[in-house]
Amino acid sequence: MMASMVANGNRDGQPLVLKGVDPETCMIVFKNHWTQVVKILEKHDPLRSGGGLPLLASISLGVGGSGGIRFGPVPSVDEASAVQNYVEHMLFLLMEEDSGREGAMGPILEFVVMENVMERLFVWSLRREFSDDMKLEQLKMYEALVGQARQPVLHHKPVLRPLMMLLSACADTEAPGVEGQLVLLLHQLCCVLAKDPSVLELFFHTSEDQGAANFLIFSLLIPFLHREGGVGQQARDALLLIMSLSAENQRVAEHIAQNTYFCPVLATGLSGLYSSLPTKLEVPNEEWHCLHGDDWARMPPLVQFLNSLEFCNAVVQVAHADIRDQLLGYIYNGFLVPVLAPALHKLTLEEVMTTTAYLELFIRSVSEPALLQTLLTFILLHRHDNVHILDTLVSRINTPYQLGTVSLALFRTLIGLYCEDVMLQLILRYLIPCNHMMLSQRCVVRERDCYSVSAAKMLALTPSCCTPEHAPPPLRQLDSIVWTRGHAAGPGNHGGATDRARGSQSDDGSSDVCVIGSEVHLDVSYLHYLYDARLGISECMRACQVWSAPYDGRDPPVEDYPPPGEARLGPAAPPLHPPPPPPPSTSASSSSSSAQHRHPTLAPPPEPASTNQQELEWDDSYDACPTQGAGGAEPEGGQALPRPPASEPPQHIQEMRRTAIMLVRGSYVEESDFQDDVMVYDLVAKRTTADAAGGGADPAALRAPPGGSALPSDATEAAGDGPSRADSSAPASAPPSPGERDCAATPESPRVDDLLTQYQELIGTLSAEVGGGSGGGEPAACPAPTLEEEEEEEEEEEMEGMEVDYSSFSADTPEPEKLQSPLGAKHPRPGGRGHAVPFTGPFVSVLLSRLENMLENSVHVNLLLTGILAQLAAYPQPLLRSFLLNTNMVFQPSVRSLYQVLASVKNQIEDLTESRKDFPGMITAAQHWLLARESSLGAADSAKGGAGAIVSEGSKVNASPQPKGVISLANTEVFAAVLFTEFLKELAAIAQEHSILSYIPMEE
Amino acid sequence: MSVNPFWSMSTSTSRKQRADDGEEQGSQGEPRASPARLSFGKKQLPAIPKNAAPVTKLTATAMVPPATNGTHASYGPFYLEYSLLAEFTLVIKQKLPGIYVQPSYKSALMWFGVIFIRHGLYQDGVFKFTVYIPDNYPDGECPRVVFDIPVFHPLVDPVSGELDVRRAFTKWRRNHNHIWQVLMYARTVFYKINTTEPLNPEAAVLYDKDVQLFKSKVVDSVKLCNSHLFDQPKIDDPYAISFSPWNPAVHDEAKERMFAHKRRPEDQHKGVQVTGLSWVKPGSTQPFSKEDNSPQS
Repeated sequence: MMASMVANGNRDGQPLVLKGVDPETCMIVFKNHWTQVVKILEKHDPLRSGGGLPLLASISLGVGGSGGIRFGPVPSVDEASAVQNYVEHMLFLLMEEDSGREGAMGPILEFVVMENVMERLFVWSLRREFSDDMKLEQLKMYEALVGQARQPVLHHKPVLRPLMMLLSACADTEAPGVEGQLVLLLHQLCCVLAKDPSVLELFFHTSEDQGAANFLIFSLLIPFLHREGGVGQQARDALLLIMSLSAENQRVAEHIAQNTYFCPVLATGLSGLYSSLPTKLEVPNEEWHCLHGDDWARMPPLVQFLNSLEFCNAVVQVAHADIRDQLLGYIYNGFLVPVLAPALHKLTLEEVMTTTAYLELFIRSVSEPALLQTLLTFILLHRHDNVHILDTLVSRINTPYQLGTVSLALFRTLIGLYCEDVMLQLILRYLIPCNHMMLSQRCVVRERDCYSVSAAKMLALTPSCCTPEHAPPPLRQLDSIVWTRGHAAGPGNHGGATDRARGSQSDDGSSDVCVIGSEVHLDVSYLHYLYDARLGISECMRACQVWSAPYDGRDPPVEDYPPPGEARLGPAAPPLHPPPPPPPSTSASSSSSSAQHRHPTLAPPPEPASTNQQELEWDDSYDACPTQGAGGAEPEGGQALPRPPASEPPQHIQEMRRTAIMLVRGSYVEESDFQDDVMVYDLVAKRTTADAAGGGADPAALRAPPGGSALPSDATEAAGDGPSRADSSAPASAPPSPGERDCAATPESPRVDDLLTQYQELIGTLSAEVGGGSGGGEPAACPAPTLEEEEEEEEEEEMEGMEVDYSSFSADTPEPEKLQSPLGAKHPRPGGRGHAVPFTGPFVSVLLSRLENMLENSVHVNLLLTGILAQLAAYPQPLLRSFLLNTNMVFQPSVRSLYQVLASVKNQIEDLTESRKDFPGMITAAQHWLLARESSLGAADSAKGGAGAIVSEGSKVNASPQPKGVISLANTEVFAAVLFTEFLKELAAIAQEHSILSYIPMEE
Repeated sequence: MSVNPFWSMSTSTSRKQRADDGEEQGSQGEPRASPARLSFGKKQLPAIPKNAAPVTKLTATAMVPPATNGTHASYGPFYLEYSLLAEFTLVIKQKLPGIYVQPSYKSALMWFGVIFIRHGLYQDGVFKFTVYIPDNYPDGECPRVVFDIPVFHPLVDPVSGELDVRRAFTKWRRNHNHIWQVLMYARTVFYKINTTEPLNPEAAVLYDKDVQLFKSKVVDSVKLCNSHLFDQPKIDDPYAISFSPWNPAVHDEAKERMFAHKRRPEDQHKGVQVTGLSWVKPGSTQPFSKEDNSPQS
């Protein structure tokens, strides 16, 4: 094994020491060895020619035919081992040689170049059986040479060319050992490239000799892009080296963007990997709401997906803008739109919940702003079946089971990004017109609450059963702190903050110093809230410095904004977006054009121009002898990816994408227990229908119109006829079925804008059912669904089912407040949306409506919910701050404020306290449980370092102690009462800190 | 910035313990309340005291008298504290010329101040004063301003040094009156002399009858005040304002920092890692409307 010996020589610690050996002697030895080798080589060379070109011709045959054609007798074992010995020594001499003066070649290298030594050796190795072992040997030889030579050997074509041929020959290998060695060598070459970009030219140049401008090293790496394990990692590292090279080198960037499939492979690979993710996650417990490190570490497919996502993130970070934009375009159009969007609209709650959890994890995993932008563009602007993804996600907050919880977690992550675009779409755009408040209140928006009036009003809502005085001592953390009301000016009284001694009457008699020491009992926990509020607001303010406007009721100006009716619809209507995104469905389905469809903001330069398309290379297209090799040189392409015929490359990008999608779709559709979920869903639907019917005739009537068009029966059908339903509906939710999709997405479709309508319908339905038909006349106003609407209606129906089901949970504890729920009865039907009905947006509404139902929510949902609201309240924008925290603000009657909802919850708690004697005792037990949980979380957090504390809250299964027998978590109302009290403190603290922080000039 | 780092830097030990007092202004009130600051749990509920049986009454706590004024009395101090902090931020915002204040370490109700008179009769005067805020602020009377050394002035009590503030704020109205207005008033009296209903009749009479004599008395008074400039603060407090003679070793660096500070804000924005995101074009209310497509950072 000539190479292995050479390669390992130094590592084994027994290097042949050449120090002090005369270079001329080395040269003589080298030449002698070569002479011996040549004798053997020529004996087996049928052409008996030392020339390079004929050699090449024969090589390519040898390579392509994989040993099929040989010349002369097979060399004997003795001959082979003799050559091997000589070569070992020769290589060693070559590696140890220093360059000559001024970078000239050393004599040995010069000889190697002149005599074409490397190429002839390569041919020799082909002549023997070109087995995997042989490849491995050769690869190792070059690895040693490239890695250890003291001269830049790659600068010389006679060294470079056989190397390229070797690489090309190894491309189709499947032996893991060879793959590993190949990637190792490629990685090494990339390192050389990164250090010495001048070599780059040679790599391109060498390729051009063969008639195509390609970049073999790069192409060879592509098939390993998504490989798991060390090989994949090394390949990705190597590719990243080239990516950073591309940032500096326009030619590399152009080549990669225009002549390779790097971006499509990377992006559609995500689709492929996504398809192997579990479509349903097992939810460990009710507390679970998002995927954590220990969750996904146990799921190899997810690990692999995240690796590739992380790689995309890295590429976006370092690559040339052309590549970056192209990649982002493909991720958008090749993964998000065709794969993730349908996955978010699966039929069962579980699947949708799983997808939502994945999406949340993806957002958390991405750090590069441009990639994040792509994800956010998808969420905020993409429309699936004419409904914005964002709106769908928002509506799911109000669903039962885990989906609502996971959706809350997703929004907590989104809000935590401090992203203006997100906040604009979710809330701010509804507040900008300022018509949620009375006209006279506009000037109040920027007002500061100098005297903590709002905080006081919030805290005054503390339920009587939860006041600090009612808590037994260990819970009641009242610390008595000396509140020096006057001025402790007595000499020697340095006490300050911690001093419990009363400020003594000053004895110097100076009349201006009056001292009234007095002890005041402070709720110490409130200090913690103040501290946290301070940190939270400061961080948020810092982050929001990059925002485009202060959102203070003046900028953006109230009047510049479209009237609220349109404002709501605006973002849904494409014309308002400067370059309208192509309808997603067409982009995914029409094969010829879709490659060019990208989201406007992501649009990379036009698809590799058609003039170039003829030259598009697939990753294996290094072909040593194109004229002859056509038959033999076909093989490579990376297992999953078919080699495209050279004539129509774009089709193949297309095909590849389709394959990935099909994979995804296939795995979803064929899911075995799909049927069960359909049935569960059906049961839910039936039950809600029943509930609705029981609630009164009106709600039933509301359901009737769609029922007439055979929609609700859909689910029933599914129960009886599961597979067929699955077959027919699953493709419907996945884009690329050109016919139906196109017609569904025709621009004439009347309902472009209708999230709001739907939303209000939804709310209307909800309140109608809860309130026993308060929405009496509504059904009449409901237009008969058109054909185009059907699908959407179906979705609607589904969501409706969830909603209603959710509310039915609470049906046994009817609250008077609910009857006048602002979301339902007070909202006019969509028909009236032309009027400027004050509306603070679906997100706020849904959050507040869940908050109002706090007593029925589980502890964990309430923690998430209050966490989100507290985060929102920490935003410094006056519009948001005044809406959430200013209790003095006068809103339009139809607008529900946070304070109103809190007051409603307080009343519910007070009612409970009165009606149940055991309530105070249970409160105490719940406080103990929560405290224990808090301390154990605190311990865990401090061990991990605080940063993740917020995220991890409520997520640690093991950390939660079981309630001490006294109280079960099922007593949600008791826990809610405790959390409510704490939430009031949290909000009050935020309001107080705002009164200071938001006004300190920035220089501070 | 209300506190000029060069003067005060008194060398008392308590002061040294609290380094960076200049930076701490925003959170002046906190130290008083900070004993509980030791272990901040991430969230919400206070930690369980060690060794405390859940329900038994601890003797120590049993001693504590119940909070007096109704259910929520315990938050009262927080409201007061934050009201005063808000007032203080307002003062900062006003950038009153020649006036610097700093709340005391011991009480947010007591602020130390100094006023530099740059022209007029009292030119070159450097008067230290203390602001006393009533503890029922903002519903009480107006804050009092007392000069450390009674300046010779018709409106300054020659014995106590108290300035007649009340004449300008006969009734203190919350939301309308703010402490910065009191400070501005304290500055104005040295430029526009008012002699009606004086606290120092001698000064008032002199001003009206014999301005020359008045002037020379003022000059004497200014000299007297300035000669006591380097005295220890009258009230012993870590945050009391005290002056020391120029000491290049201490003050040069501080001075340099002050001048450099002006330039910093813009630079800061570039250096600091920005965590927020925005692709909204200024003037637009559409998401991702920025044309350059690259996130602002």
